[in-house]
Amino acid sequence: MDQIIQTLIIGLANGLIYALVALGYTLVYGIIELINFAHGDVFMLGSMLAYVLIAPPSSGGWGIFSIEAGTPLPQLIVQILIVLAICMVSMSTLNWFIERVAYRPLRHAPKLAPLITAIGVSFILQNVGLILGGAYQRTVDSVFPTDNLLAPLGITNIVLTASQVFVAVVTIPLLVALSWFVGKTRQGRAMRATAQDPDTAGLMGVDVNRTIAITFVIGGALAGAAGLVQILYNNYTVYTLGFRFGLNSFTAAVLGGIGNLQGAVLGALVIGEINAISDRYISPNWTQAIVFGVLIAVLVFKPTGLLGQQLADRA
Amino acid sequence: MSSATKVIGTGPGAWFGFIGSTLASYPGRYRASYHRRRRRTILLTLLVVGTLIYPIVHSVLLAGFSRNVLPLPLPDDTVMTFMTIFAIMSIGLNIVAGFAGLLDLGYVAFYAIGAYVAAFLASPHFGQFGINLVFLGHVGPGAVGIHLPFWIVAIVAIIVVATFGALLGAPTLRLRGDYLAIVTLGFGEIVPLFFKNLSSLTISFALGPLLINVSNVNLTGGVQGINPIDPPFLPILDVLFDARSGPLAVYLGMFLVTIAIVVARNLDLSRMGRAWGAIREDETAAEMMGVNTVRTKLLAFALGASFAGVAGAFQASYLGATTSDFFDFSISILVLIMVILGGIGNVWGALAGAVMLVYVDKTLLPYVSQRIGDVAPTLPNPAQYNFLIYGVLLVVMMRFRPQGFLPSRQREAELSVHGLADADAQMGVVGEFDNVGVAPPGQDETGADSRSAETPDESRHL
Repeated sequence: MDQIIQTLIIGLANGLIYALVALGYTLVYGIIELINFAHGDVFMLGSMLAYVLIAPPSSGGWGIFSIEAGTPLPQLIVQILIVLAICMVSMSTLNWFIERVAYRPLRHAPKLAPLITAIGVSFILQNVGLILGGAYQRTVDSVFPTDNLLAPLGITNIVLTASQVFVAVVTIPLLVALSWFVGKTRQGRAMRATAQDPDTAGLMGVDVNRTIAITFVIGGALAGAAGLVQILYNNYTVYTLGFRFGLNSFTAAVLGGIGNLQGAVLGALVIGEINAISDRYISPNWTQAIVFGVLIAVLVFKPTGLLGQQLADRA
Repeated sequence: MSSATKVIGTGPGAWFGFIGSTLASYPGRYRASYHRRRRRTILLTLLVVGTLIYPIVHSVLLAGFSRNVLPLPLPDDTVMTFMTIFAIMSIGLNIVAGFAGLLDLGYVAFYAIGAYVAAFLASPHFGQFGINLVFLGHVGPGAVGIHLPFWIVAIVAIIVVATFGALLGAPTLRLRGDYLAIVTLGFGEIVPLFFKNLSSLTISFALGPLLINVSNVNLTGGVQGINPIDPPFLPILDVLFDARSGPLAVYLGMFLVTIAIVVARNLDLSRMGRAWGAIREDETAAEMMGVNTVRTKLLAFALGASFAGVAGAFQASYLGATTSDFFDFSISILVLIMVILGGIGNVWGALAGAVMLVYVDKTLLPYVSQRIGDVAPTLPNPAQYNFLIYGVLLVVMMRFRPQGFLPSRQREAELSVHGLADADAQMGVVGEFDNVGVAPPGQDETGADSRSAETPDESRHL
């Protein structure tokens, strides 16, 4: 039982990272019906950037904000916030630039043209990651204390570490902020209108291009944040990370019902748990196959996802 | 079939003329004058003869000589063999993506299955289970494992791979466009994973009275893969040449490519090919006209896959070994780029794309890297970043020339002669092609449902 709960905690933490990336997929798909293949690689570049900012020069970073294990808490928080801001802003800019250069010119082209473009962009970004980070996995030391936070409560069989709490502390406010932005602000309403019908939204005075650009900016910011969380929680990055991680996140978005924000988060948590359970109880060798199996099964049997609406016609 | 035979009659030089005249025999405004047709026939005949002579000339005269004399490196036997392997695959993917308009991002799965079929049926691997079967081929009677000759292996590979194609296609082909791309992508990732992981299979369960108990069976050789695999069996030629080294493998590959071209062209011109075209242009309309869309798409999928099966079997026999590492996502993309580069929907485009891209990937880039390495070793090595180049190529192609370098003339003609684009313009659907700097017909080369993409739907919500 303890073991199961432990596995679920690990799955939950990873699921929250998947959620940040999955939201990027679902936002973009919701608004322009494009599977943004390159989004996983934007996340990968975010983690690369976080890596070079955080890692000390001795392990290949730039050491600008070299965060080390013994840093006092207030300084740690400030440093992490600065790196978080840098990652989010850079990845937003990158995603905005990709949309402007690669996708916008194909706005009215057949559906598969932007999809193929996205694959091309994905390869470009992957190679940028290869140039930045090299061909091998880059790891950093954990900056958080590894004590069990539950120990003071007398629970010793289940371990909850500070890094897991950190994941929740970073991701949950972002998810809430996104939900507020899309649901409550004027710009969010413009996004929802554009998602429903770009032409009509344009006639009603919504600047469609700007709205789409903002969607990409938000997706990039979430991916950048996810990149930092990946480095601080899982402590590694590699240039192929985006492909695998991106497919997991995309599966999460589809599982929840693509285009649906709450669905993406729910799907991501489920995918995180499936990953953790499969890693623990089946074999890490099969995890990827199981995730793909879930993806195929969802698309075949319930293309609308857990929370989505009727998508089958379009899919 | 009938169109192909008719075409053979029109060309002056029976067989080579066939190729020239098929290219020249498109309807409408593309019907070239007699002289132009003749010139094209001569040119193509020269091209075909040159291609046929080149491998043997290369192996006799040019090997080891070309590198320092000619401005560009010449492809060697291995590269040429891989050109044929990838040509078979790109012609096959062209059936799926070009003719029927289904984007398959997991094409490598079928390639892998084909290779493993060859590995199972022409290697000592199954000897470990006490299964020994020797039939024809190089291997003498009494050898360990299953040893079937290449031609039987190729046929089995076609059947097995087409079956897998149908099995994957049956539930997924009602999905359209991008979802299908993702499902096939998943399949393309799972299949090599299975080949990698099924190296210590332990199953134990009771099925009614039947007790199935398998423990620690090495089905696929795991990470090491399976080797040695028998070379392609060519009854008489084998006495003279080794089927693996030298030009013989290239000729075998060319033979397979020729079959692939003939099959693909005949499919394109058949009733089925017209049905594919109809589905590609507008699935709903095709269905209204009585095309059984699911069955038609399934056939495209299975037939296209079977090409990859042959390619995989040939590759495994040629290399004499197979491991799951050969088969990753990048191969699917490489083949897709070949199809797009050449001109999606056009058999000759797919062939040209494969030849060009394999040349660039396996001869030109390593050569350039070597040259750069000689001059300035600190500069980045282009061969390592080949996919950066292909990524840029994909983006640029989609932006400026989505119809490829050798676009399907039939489709271009179809579109402009019957005036789909004109009709759209008259009906006020201007602006659909606004942002694309090239001729409108190219737009449809890439899209499965470019026209139905406009249909409003209620489902999007955030």
